[in-house]
Amino acid sequence: MNILAPTRRQLLAGAAATLLPIPAFASTSSRFGFAPVEVANGIWMIEGAREVFSRENGGAIVNIAFIETPQGAVVVDTGSNLSMGQEIRAFAEERLGGVALVVNTHHHPDHWFGNAAFDDCRIVALEETISTCTQYAQDFAESLYAILGSWMRGTNTRPGDSPMQGGEARIGGRSMRFIALSGHTQADLAILDEETGTLIAGDLLFLDRAPSLPDADFAAWNAALDELQALAPSGTVPGHGPFDRTDQALVQTRAYLTATRARLDQAAALGLSPIEAMSAGPVPEFAGLGANPEEYLRSVVQRWADHETEALPLIGGL
Amino acid sequence: MGGTLQQRLAGGDEPLIVGATGAAAVGGDAFDSGMWPLHRAEYLGDPQNWVNDPATIVLAPKAAEDSGHVPFLIDATGLDGSVDEIVVTIDYSPFPHALTFRPGRAKPFLAFAVKYEIAGALRASARVDDGWHVGAAWVSALGGGCSAPAVAHARPDWQQGFGELRARIWADTGRLRLNLRHPQDTGLADGIPAHHLTQLRLLDAAGEVIASLDLFEPLEENPSLTFILPPELAAAPVTISAQDNLGNSFTGTVEAMA
Repeated sequence: MNILAPTRRQLLAGAAATLLPIPAFASTSSRFGFAPVEVANGIWMIEGAREVFSRENGGAIVNIAFIETPQGAVVVDTGSNLSMGQEIRAFAEERLGGVALVVNTHHHPDHWFGNAAFDDCRIVALEETISTCTQYAQDFAESLYAILGSWMRGTNTRPGDSPMQGGEARIGGRSMRFIALSGHTQADLAILDEETGTLIAGDLLFLDRAPSLPDADFAAWNAALDELQALAPSGTVPGHGPFDRTDQALVQTRAYLTATRARLDQAAALGLSPIEAMSAGPVPEFAGLGANPEEYLRSVVQRWADHETEALPLIGGL
Repeated sequence: MGGTLQQRLAGGDEPLIVGATGAAAVGGDAFDSGMWPLHRAEYLGDPQNWVNDPATIVLAPKAAEDSGHVPFLIDATGLDGSVDEIVVTIDYSPFPHALTFRPGRAKPFLAFAVKYEIAGALRASARVDDGWHVGAAWVSALGGGCSAPAVAHARPDWQQGFGELRARIWADTGRLRLNLRHPQDTGLADGIPAHHLTQLRLLDAAGEVIASLDLFEPLEENPSLTFILPPELAAAPVTISAQDNLGNSFTGTVEAMA
């Protein structure tokens, strides 16, 4: 086969692209049925369900972003499993001229387990992200296979292969800034598209979906929010939740972190056990966010020791 | 209900976690199946006079977020009569016996956390004069909590901070909460021998025992425990004394903050 000649599939896809109205998009194997939306000039987004992992959503709980360039798309995050990654890739191949580069914003599995569908692509991530992906791959895989079942079929863990440190980049003629931050995890990557001023924030920003805190460092996260605020983006693709044309994602994420931290501090200072702190539920103002109360219940267990150590004085030892 | 304090947090007057009884407390498995009859024989002495009793409240999350730290709360303050001991067993665990709590002069109330190997029920059997009153809660868990190495072993300096004892008494609620830095090794992780607490006691100013616990492998790494003391005991200094299976002793004295 002549590798330069377009395949029949590519020809068909090209024809389809000119006929189909936006955002309808017929993937070759549509298990998820994604309908990507162009939220700014050449910036596409697939919005995930504002939920925790379940058999119903198949792990499609995370936002995926595409930056269109003349040489194909920069695909930001790849989803929770092979089939999700394949459908993400199919959109890039059929509508955006292929894949120029794949980016993983951080090591949580909903953001990179779809890498399995990008085996032949360069996948960049912060160096620490690649090492934590490698370290936790097996644990994540066990958890996701148990929760998602057959949605995980064929999913191999494939951490990023190209470590990077952030900075200015020009990809396919389009300028973007990679910003290395931390706080949601030990290494969080945000991307600013210089052409439109759109921020792709990864899980440093959530909107109308409760932030997840398994690796949260409140002080670092707050500092990261300050940096994102200073960018004054024209619009934001949060890690979870709808596209944001205001600063609502930033305001809400900061308020949630502040209030949840205060609640756990208060619980520990009152002498509550984790069960009681869980039973009380999320901060009432945020109880209605997507993925709550589940995300809050997880957070109590994940973060409890931080708060209790501060609340209990050292009185003795060995 | 008993002594739980979730209502002290805004919105906590409608608790998300409430006690269950019957099949719901053991994951749809009717009582008296699986390992429970064997555990009853081994750890309770095969009593004839035992009942499933909703007054022995066991609170737990439906799902374990971290199989190394699955939080529980046992509240038997609603039982009639004096509770001599509460035996805590896990239906499906390589170490079924998690702990035995003798409340003595403290309330029959205990919060703690355990490691979970696979999904199943944890049962609290409270002995009152007339027999055993059993409560349970079922937790879904991906597991591995008993066979994974303690997180402390990921660091070369795991002994740093080993044995640190933190505690506080809240005189208004009679609460005593403590935390002890200990790897709680079960012996199932490759190359790491068993190293866990065996006993913990609360002593009054005269050195008399207020309450005591026998502790086993399932207790979480760096365990925290909550007790409730009557007002006169909560107003005085309390000494905490614990031992582990390698002969280490841990001690400290805590007094209510002014």
